[in-house]
Amino acid sequence: MALPKRIIKETERLVAEPVPGIQAVPHEDNLRYFDVAIHGPTQSPYEGGVFKLELFLPEDYPMTPPKIRFLTKIYHPNIDRLANWSPALQIRTILLSIQALLGAPNPDDPLANDVAQRWKEDEPGAIATAREWTKTHATP
Amino acid sequence: MAPSRSSRNSLQSVDLRALDYLASPSANLLCPICHSPLITPVQTRCLHTFCSACISLSLERSLTCPVDRKDLSHDDVTPAPIMIANLVNDLVVLCPNREKGCEASCARWLVESHVREDCGYAMVKCAKEGCDGMVARKDVDEDCVHEAVECEFCEFAVRKLDLESHLRECPKLSSECPHCAEPFLNPELSIHIADCPAEIIDCPASHFGCPYTCPRSEVDNHTGSCHFIALTPILQLHTERITTLELENKTIRQKLELLIPPRPLPTPSSSSSNPQDSSTNTGSSSTTRDMTSEMQDYTYHLYSEYEQLRSDVERLNAQIRELDVKQDMARINEGLRYNDEMTGMRAAINGLRMQLHWLVASRRDAPTPNSGGAGGAANRVGAGSSTNDGRRMSDSARQIVKL
Ligand SMILES: [Zn+2]
Ligand SMILES: [Zn+2]
Ligand SMILES: [Zn+2]
Ligand SMILES: [Zn+2]
Ligand SMILES: [Zn+2]
Ligand SMILES: [Zn+2]
Repeated sequence: MALPKRIIKETERLVAEPVPGIQAVPHEDNLRYFDVAIHGPTQSPYEGGVFKLELFLPEDYPMTPPKIRFLTKIYHPNIDRLANWSPALQIRTILLSIQALLGAPNPDDPLANDVAQRWKEDEPGAIATAREWTKTHATP
Repeated sequence: MAPSRSSRNSLQSVDLRALDYLASPSANLLCPICHSPLITPVQTRCLHTFCSACISLSLERSLTCPVDRKDLSHDDVTPAPIMIANLVNDLVVLCPNREKGCEASCARWLVESHVREDCGYAMVKCAKEGCDGMVARKDVDEDCVHEAVECEFCEFAVRKLDLESHLRECPKLSSECPHCAEPFLNPELSIHIADCPAEIIDCPASHFGCPYTCPRSEVDNHTGSCHFIALTPILQLHTERITTLELENKTIRQKLELLIPPRPLPTPSSSSSNPQDSSTNTGSSSTTRDMTSEMQDYTYHLYSEYEQLRSDVERLNAQIRELDVKQDMARINEGLRYNDEMTGMRAAINGLRMQLHWLVASRRDAPTPNSGGAGGAANRVGAGSSTNDGRRMSDSARQIVKL
């Protein structure tokens, strides 16, 4: 099936006007696959790190959200909790919301995991771990 | 136009969403879902406009408006004002067969009939009887191109249609190398071209600035004495560092621009809270406008979250109001019942009081209290009937109160 116009338009804009601190490059052989690199926001435990992600646009995108997988190990309480999808959102809004989550981790998210638990009980310790992981796994 | 051309309709279907537009259409006419100019525009109860097909697909997955997430059902979607439909239908599009050579452009509502009836590059059935092949409308009067013919050099059967491209790579034919002009058989030509010794090539260090060029066969003489090649490792290192620094510089500049937004020159009111203001600011540079749209994207994202929260709060408020009303109703009902009962009791007491009066009066009127059983019985009967009267009165009193 031919690539929908919307995906072409979004890709063109992502390449022509990249989001500051975010690179998204489509695979040459499959334009629905993107290699994404997000720079950790300043004054966050992820500062100085570059986080690599894989983004895939499913067949029925934008009806279903882009699929996203972190390739870089990251210590974060709710990075897997993305905002409710709506077909009016875009690849850039999703990437922006990931960047925002890096800048403001929220351990009070209802679907918490172990990291969130630790974050609530020992925030300085959790932040230190996040810094450490950033240094070991996300520093080029 | 030849009659045979127009008499043949093309079955090629036109995907309106894949069309290219002559001028880029106003952002107001784009569907928020497919980002194309609206196709069969519809409007929601919350006054957002979508393509009919797009919002239907979206509602199949979620009964909310994709833009503001308000509750939305299929019944809340109605055709958009005819003016919007006219605006998008009149947009000028390029023919979908442009890549094949058609240079036509027309209003979007005409493009389907252009392809079906006019476009010279739309495929129609071959004119030859019995042939199932397809041919571009402009060529329909030529001879059938679907018959197989034999290549005169390699003797393979090739469709007439493909003969031209076959001759370019027929294994029995040779072509000239563009560099050394030697003839080579087609299958070997590309192998030869890849390292033809006569091709003029650049020095391997040309990207560092060496201007030297020579035939491939002589390049080795040059590389031995080329200063650029000798410096390649260090130049490589510098290039990499410059690229990294440039990238860093760019990021820093963008961050700086984000942190210190340049003030618009003419008007002092530069609050970014009004998106219309910032989008119409003409004083800012193009990068700032990018950043502004970035911020708008982000703001928009936050806004939709905020909208969701607000609707939650509104729903809770409505529930509280409903509970309040229910409680009020219960209180009023209870009060009415007590009132009722009280009126009944008051009537009963009244009845009793009247009986008492009657008894006291009859006692006073009868000087001989022990005048015989018959009188007492009559008294008793009288008292009985009076009780009945009293009850009847209280009944009627209650009825009056009820009314
Ligand atoms: Zn649409
Ligand atoms: Zn809406
Ligand atoms: Zn055409
Ligand atoms: Zn034919
Ligand atoms: Zn041949
Ligand atoms: Zn040659």
